Amino acid sequence: MKPFEFHRAINSDDVFKHISTTSKYIAGGTNLLDLMKKHIHEPNTIIDLNSALSNTIEQKNDGIFLGAMTTNTKVTENTIVNKNFPLVSKAILAGASPQIRNMATTSGNLLQRTRCPYFYDTNIPCNKRKSNSGCGALNGHQRMAGIVGTSQNCVAVHPSDFCVALAALDAEVFITKTDSTTEKIPFKDFHRLPENNPEKDNNLSDNAIITGVFIPNNNFGNTVSYVKIRERDSYAFALVSVAAALEIKDDKIKKVRLASGGVAHKPWRWFEAEKFLKNKKASRDNFIKAAELIVSKTKPLPNNTFKVTLLKGAVETALMQCLTNTSNG
Amino acid sequence: MSHSKNENTFSRRFFIKTSSAFTALALVPHSIKAFYNDIKETYFTKKVVLPIYLKINGKDYNLNADSRTTLLDLLRENLNLTGTKKGCDHGQCGACTVHINGQRALSCLSLAAMMQGKEITTIEGLANGDNLHPMQEAFLEHDGYQCGYCTPGQIMSAVACVNEGHTKSIEEIKEYMSGNICRCGAYNGITNAIKSVAK
Amino acid sequence: MFEILKNKGRIEGIAKVTGKAKYSAEYALPNLAHGVIVGSTIPSGFITNINIEEAKQVPGVIDVLSYWNKPEVSTFDNPEKSKKIPAFHKYFHTTKINYSDQPVALVLADTLEDASYAATLLKIDYKTEDFNVNFHESLKDLELKPFKAERGNLEAWQNADYISENEYTIAMEVHNPMEMHATIAHWTAENKLSLYDKSQGVNGVQWNLGRFFDLPEENITVNSEFVGGGFGSGLMTWFNTVAASLGAKLIERPVKVGLTRPQMFTMVGYRPTSWQKVKIGANKDEKLLGVLHHAAHNQSKYNVYSRDLSGITSKVYAFENVKRFTGYSPLNLPIPTWMRGPGDSSGTFAVESAIDELCYKMNADPVDIRLNNIAPYSMDSGKPWSTHYLNECLERGAKEIGWDDRPNQPKQLKDGDWYTGYGVGVGLWNASRRNAGASIEMKRDGNIIVRTAMTDIGTGTGQAIVNMTHEFLGIPREKISIELGNSIHPKSVTQGGSWGLSSLSGAVDAASTALKRKLADYAWGKSEVTKLDAVILSDSGVAFINDQKKSVSYQDIFQKYNLNEIYVEEYSNAGGEEEKYAFCSSAAHFYKVKVNVVTGKVKMDRMVIVVDGGKIINPQAAANQIIGAAVGGVGMAMREKQEVDLASGRLIGSDFAGYHVTVNADVPIIEVSFINKPDYNRNPAGAKGLGEVGLLGSAPAITNAIYNAIGKRFTNLPVTPDMIV
Repeated sequence: MKPFEFHRAINSDDVFKHISTTSKYIAGGTNLLDLMKKHIHEPNTIIDLNSALSNTIEQKNDGIFLGAMTTNTKVTENTIVNKNFPLVSKAILAGASPQIRNMATTSGNLLQRTRCPYFYDTNIPCNKRKSNSGCGALNGHQRMAGIVGTSQNCVAVHPSDFCVALAALDAEVFITKTDSTTEKIPFKDFHRLPENNPEKDNNLSDNAIITGVFIPNNNFGNTVSYVKIRERDSYAFALVSVAAALEIKDDKIKKVRLASGGVAHKPWRWFEAEKFLKNKKASRDNFIKAAELIVSKTKPLPNNTFKVTLLKGAVETALMQCLTNTSNG
Repeated sequence: MSHSKNENTFSRRFFIKTSSAFTALALVPHSIKAFYNDIKETYFTKKVVLPIYLKINGKDYNLNADSRTTLLDLLRENLNLTGTKKGCDHGQCGACTVHINGQRALSCLSLAAMMQGKEITTIEGLANGDNLHPMQEAFLEHDGYQCGYCTPGQIMSAVACVNEGHTKSIEEIKEYMSGNICRCGAYNGITNAIKSVAK
Repeated sequence: MFEILKNKGRIEGIAKVTGKAKYSAEYALPNLAHGVIVGSTIPSGFITNINIEEAKQVPGVIDVLSYWNKPEVSTFDNPEKSKKIPAFHKYFHTTKINYSDQPVALVLADTLEDASYAATLLKIDYKTEDFNVNFHESLKDLELKPFKAERGNLEAWQNADYISENEYTIAMEVHNPMEMHATIAHWTAENKLSLYDKSQGVNGVQWNLGRFFDLPEENITVNSEFVGGGFGSGLMTWFNTVAASLGAKLIERPVKVGLTRPQMFTMVGYRPTSWQKVKIGANKDEKLLGVLHHAAHNQSKYNVYSRDLSGITSKVYAFENVKRFTGYSPLNLPIPTWMRGPGDSSGTFAVESAIDELCYKMNADPVDIRLNNIAPYSMDSGKPWSTHYLNECLERGAKEIGWDDRPNQPKQLKDGDWYTGYGVGVGLWNASRRNAGASIEMKRDGNIIVRTAMTDIGTGTGQAIVNMTHEFLGIPREKISIELGNSIHPKSVTQGGSWGLSSLSGAVDAASTALKRKLADYAWGKSEVTKLDAVILSDSGVAFINDQKKSVSYQDIFQKYNLNEIYVEEYSNAGGEEEKYAFCSSAAHFYKVKVNVVTGKVKMDRMVIVVDGGKIINPQAAANQIIGAAVGGVGMAMREKQEVDLASGRLIGSDFAGYHVTVNADVPIIEVSFINKPDYNRNPAGAKGLGEVGLLGSAPAITNAIYNAIGKRFTNLPVTPDMIV
């Protein structure tokens, strides 16, 4: 690692005191230190946010607020989360390892960078790592690359599982800026597509900080599921994943949410499929049709067309599992 | 590396001042900015040494450490506590698992500087003198290792796994132990050891 | 030295579970400097310049070792001696680059942080040349050559009742032991080098470094007391050992060089990518008639390693006709090396798959066809098997897995999206034995220390030595301690190839006999005792069986002859039995899988393995080793694949996030049992070696089970979820 100054911010006023164009915030450190050791990030200053921002989970009238510094484990162990937002726990528990989940935070999870192997090798061009240097993955190995929303500049995907659930549940990202103003960003607008600026993962302005994530109440109950297809049974990033949530009334789907990880530069919502399923019967036939609709919207790369088939199976399985989970729950 | 408390008078203020000055660069004309940037580059490539207080295996440590030093390297290279292992240095194998304030965590992805005031338990702190921890006994009894290199991490993770209550079935143990890779593949022994302790 | 075991488990167990076991990077030498290896970023060409100015400005940096400032070594003044140094030890003596990440410099600094940072600041200029890293493309121009003499006649079975032919590929796999290779090099005097090195054989390192520095072996000591796994990566002496030694010479300080995980993929070998084509034929009576086996794998441009994959093809089954062709493609890739079950595990995948395929064509039972076709003697050498119980392995395994429940056609067992299938695969490995040495030192209190240079890479050699010594001498285990993995001890063969225990048992037996002889001579006078078998050692003294009156205490012996210790040292090798017999270990793998055809998930449901490894010296550790090998088999079949980026020639995703090794959740509790019949022709312990057979046959048992479940034949490994759906 390149040498850096280290500051421990002790309150929310403190967090902007040491910022510069070469400073970085650290929370769990599970991604940043990895990237610093690889010299992908070389900040001159590190600002530790752990003592400065909230690490509590607060139940509100209209939902739940996860403080920026809540660890993944803390979220999955929270009784309100498990009762009202079980999709969140399921997604988090499908990712990483217990050790990492003990360290990784809510805000850090949103800001984790892609796991595209070309991004990780500083000797290979990568537009996300260095603007206008090229993209090694475009004609290379694409197992970990996207199948929707990719651009000629970048085919990387967002690696989070947690964020897929947050996207599905219409969460909001709470932000405080250097001028002390605050802002709420709908989750679907938080992360970006690569387009011509793949170096930017999201719409968080420079030096603004995430203070927490709000998830509005829903009526999905236990009729939710998270299916993750990966190259081993645990502790691996997704090839594709699907978060599904259904609200069924009088045998009809009243509300539905479908989101995916491993397919795009951002956690991806399948709005058209949701629309298709609305007011339909919760049957395997309809689920298969929704899955077919979803895959018809994908544009795989030459070397990852298989992801389309996997996605189709994952959507179908996730929706079917919603029905099993609701009866078990 | 120093263990004396007297050296804890590190000039934190100086760093804050200089960095604030650089933050104010936005207001300075371009040429001067470049000049300052150069100075800044030269200045910042020097390593930063920080005072850290932490507790390891019940013992107080007041140390000075490079800001870049991870908890793992602090233990292994600076304190000669080599029981905690480096298997990848990137959070991909679990060999470096320790307990931080009672929870299992990866020491390779923890900056020593972030351990201020924390209580760390490593494999060296698990036994009570000559009396091994029940999990250590169980690993011996069930042959929960081969080469032994991932073993300290497995055991620290296993102790936490039991404390967390993630031992209701073989499948649950296996899932909650999958952050610890054993390339020798001693997964039978590891799993059975945990099951025997959890009973 | 290991403490005498007061507890359960292995003799070194307490050291391992308390963190006290010291691996090579963990010795705190005073004034130790840290070295970080910098690899080339191009796969082919020349380094034209290395600018080290910026790196040297980093505080704490001592020097940067490279082609341009390597310390003088007298070997290189002598063309004859220099020629004998292998190219992959000469990376600092050349500017030629043959693969990406070939070491080009060693940054030396006071701390690891300083060295790692400075390593990123080297400015290296290259002259690039064309390169080739595409194995499958290279096959087009590769001319295969006959491998060994043809057995029988290819034409004889071309009109057989049943013929099956297929092509098979296996991706590049990397050993990746958990302990990353590391070396501490310390010149304790002008011409004396002390090394702490991760190695499977200290004497090999000693010999290689002696050759490099033109020093007698006794000037070099190598310590590998604890080795954090190997699987073959520690068989060769790699460049990190040379680099650390050169670095320590340059800066006149002890130097530690530890590889990073990505460097573990490029600097210490791997199982090369392979291609095979296998054609087999059988007649209506389920007799296997013949096999035609083509095989190739990639090499590095540094032509260090080649191994035929079809060696196994002539061994397991009674094919009367065997014809083989082989080839190697030299590419701009790192140097491959032996990896667990080298060659044979790849060949076994092809042959065991082909037989399974044939069974479905013939409507034959895969267990029966194997039982009916086991080679009745070694058809390679014509010699009888000394002992060989593969038939019993197959019979017992079939019973334990419930083979009768296996449907003889695929896609029969269905539960929702999940299909269940059963598969079998067998493994066989030469049970060889090599030269090994051991010494025994007895102390006044009757405690003994057994010493050997052989390492214990995790297989349980240490406890096996205790068990064997106890068996041979009768001295209680509590009084036996061991010291191993150090070149100061009696020279021994490298640990690997399943020959470790087999070789060592001869040495331990010889040393035990020598100790008995010496004690008998002391107790009753020289040559008084002719039959050593009648002499027994207890915890307190030496005696005759059935004649306690004759017993003499150790204390009396030590006092009478004024001794401080009694020392014996013996060496042993395979003998005349090699002329008479052929030796092998074998295993039968019976697996049950559940396959989800919608998500592509394959769940290992049951894994039953029955092994003939001769006498089992330490049942718990032996079972553990088989389990671990089968875990590797799951990796080979469904997880492990190292990709190469064709544009840059670099490995892609070469770490534990990108390269998936098997995790705990990937496998069930694996069921292992042993035939446990001794083979005393092989060695005095009757053990035949276990290291490889746990892996051989494992991968095809999985793909055969997947076929039984869903009716898809997988011939390219690894099988990933996308291939299932």
